[in-house]
Amino acid sequence: MFGRISGIAVNTFRESIRDKVLVTLLVFAVLVMGSARVIQPLALGEESKVVKDLGLSAITLFCVLIAILVGGRIVYKEVEKRTIYIMLSKPVRRWEFVLGKYAGLMAVLLVSLLFMTVAFYAIMFIVKIDAPAYLLLAVMMTFFELAILTAVAVLFSTFVTPIAGAVFTFAVYFVGQLTRDLKLLAAMSPSPVVKIVSQVLYYVLPNFSNFNVRGEVVSNALLDPNALVFSILYAAVYTATLLLISVAVFSRKEF
Amino acid sequence: MAAVVEPVIRTARLTKVYHSGFRIRRVRALTDVNLDVEKSEIFGFLGPNGAGKTTFIKILMGLSEPTSGAAYVLGRAPRDARVKARMGFLPESPYFYEYLTAAEFLRLAARLAGVPAGEAQGRTNGLLRLVGMEHAASQQMRGYSRGMLQRIGIAQALVGDPELVVLDEPMGGLDPVGRKEFRDIIVNLRERGKTVFFSTHILADVEMICDRVGVIIGGRLVDVGRLSEILSEDVESIEVTVKGASGKFRKALERVAQRSIESGDLLLLTVRGDEDVDKVAAIVREAGARIQALVPRKKTLEDYFMAHVAKAREA
Repeated sequence: MFGRISGIAVNTFRESIRDKVLVTLLVFAVLVMGSARVIQPLALGEESKVVKDLGLSAITLFCVLIAILVGGRIVYKEVEKRTIYIMLSKPVRRWEFVLGKYAGLMAVLLVSLLFMTVAFYAIMFIVKIDAPAYLLLAVMMTFFELAILTAVAVLFSTFVTPIAGAVFTFAVYFVGQLTRDLKLLAAMSPSPVVKIVSQVLYYVLPNFSNFNVRGEVVSNALLDPNALVFSILYAAVYTATLLLISVAVFSRKEF
Repeated sequence: MAAVVEPVIRTARLTKVYHSGFRIRRVRALTDVNLDVEKSEIFGFLGPNGAGKTTFIKILMGLSEPTSGAAYVLGRAPRDARVKARMGFLPESPYFYEYLTAAEFLRLAARLAGVPAGEAQGRTNGLLRLVGMEHAASQQMRGYSRGMLQRIGIAQALVGDPELVVLDEPMGGLDPVGRKEFRDIIVNLRERGKTVFFSTHILADVEMICDRVGVIIGGRLVDVGRLSEILSEDVESIEVTVKGASGKFRKALERVAQRSIESGDLLLLTVRGDEDVDKVAAIVREAGARIQALVPRKKTLEDYFMAHVAKAREA
């Protein structure tokens, strides 16, 4: 079982790193982080904060793009190109296939995240601002956010086309940033329909805003460790649930 | 004490209906197909394009579920992973990960098929040699021709040393040399006790290597058996070529024949049996003409196939 899942994961990883999309995104991420060097003089007295804000935001943004653009077609492409026939004609169970694809994509994101983080610290070193390890907390939380988002992308890619999958995943990501507003809307709206819909959305959609601690780490504010642990557990449960649904959808699929 | 030998493939009233356009249109791809394929035989699954061959194979591979009826492969349900470990599959016009080299891909296939890590390399090399692809083994598959993909396709199907090999149109995209090599590979598999099930619409492939054939037309299995059973050994007709018959004699000859074709001085007659040949001979003698050739024609697979397709079209 482990051999088959890791075989599919390694293949997915290989596919992604030999893909131009990933390389392009990584190059752009480094360029965006490096542009801090240009805008730095404009930020009077706030240089270090601007570089850090920009760097951490770029890491999150580009990893999210990788998850959406690469993840959105990860299963669909195998169906479209009919490589799935080969995979499923081997003693590979369908859940093993889905988990293998997910694991491979997470490996790609982990490597991308590490690469960008190293680039980020290198840039801070070059522009000579202090680079505390505390910033890594924000990167770590981004990883857990990506775990959920990738599971969303994999789920969509089991039943819709890559473009539709990317759009839906992006929509989930976008609304997931605003779930606090949804709760507010549910509380304040006079219409019962809006109340119910926004309440359902609040509970069903992933709450991504919990994973954004970039403001806090940049301003060196203290973070509540309990809240962080809760967010990580939340990510684990949410991801596992999405993967279970993906497996259920994929197992019923006919080719 | 003889063990009960189960058929390698068994289907019982296998039926598949596809729905399209929001379930308004129904397409019957397979209707009540009952088929047994025995151990160590080469079974040819023959049918024109769109007859239901690929649908049947997809159900055998667990890629698709029957609407009704049942399929068993090696005595189990097709989706069972234990079945997959004992079979190999080559899909129609296969396509692989273009970013992998052939060697990388075969190692992946070996890993998924459960080949022990220590043997994977040796197995991969052996298969590359078998299908004549050693020269391109470390080249990314994006540049491969259709024939090269087909060769890698059969290599990956054999990677787990399966008991049953299912091949969907294995000769597609191959040149005559490639076809010969593929036939040799298939015959060699049978010699090693393996069972081969392959679909095709090319009759020559079937005639050369198959032990038994099944003919599927319009989703129905119209005939199953040994080629010699399906095609009677009887002489179907006799072609007589007559030289130098003219005028009323020519008219008389044409009346005896089922069919006649004129070509200058020659007359090609198709007659039914020996009696008609005698009649032709008598007229020819009277006319002072000559019989140039006499060719008995047996029914070919092509005649058989065309007759069935014509019958299905009428129905």
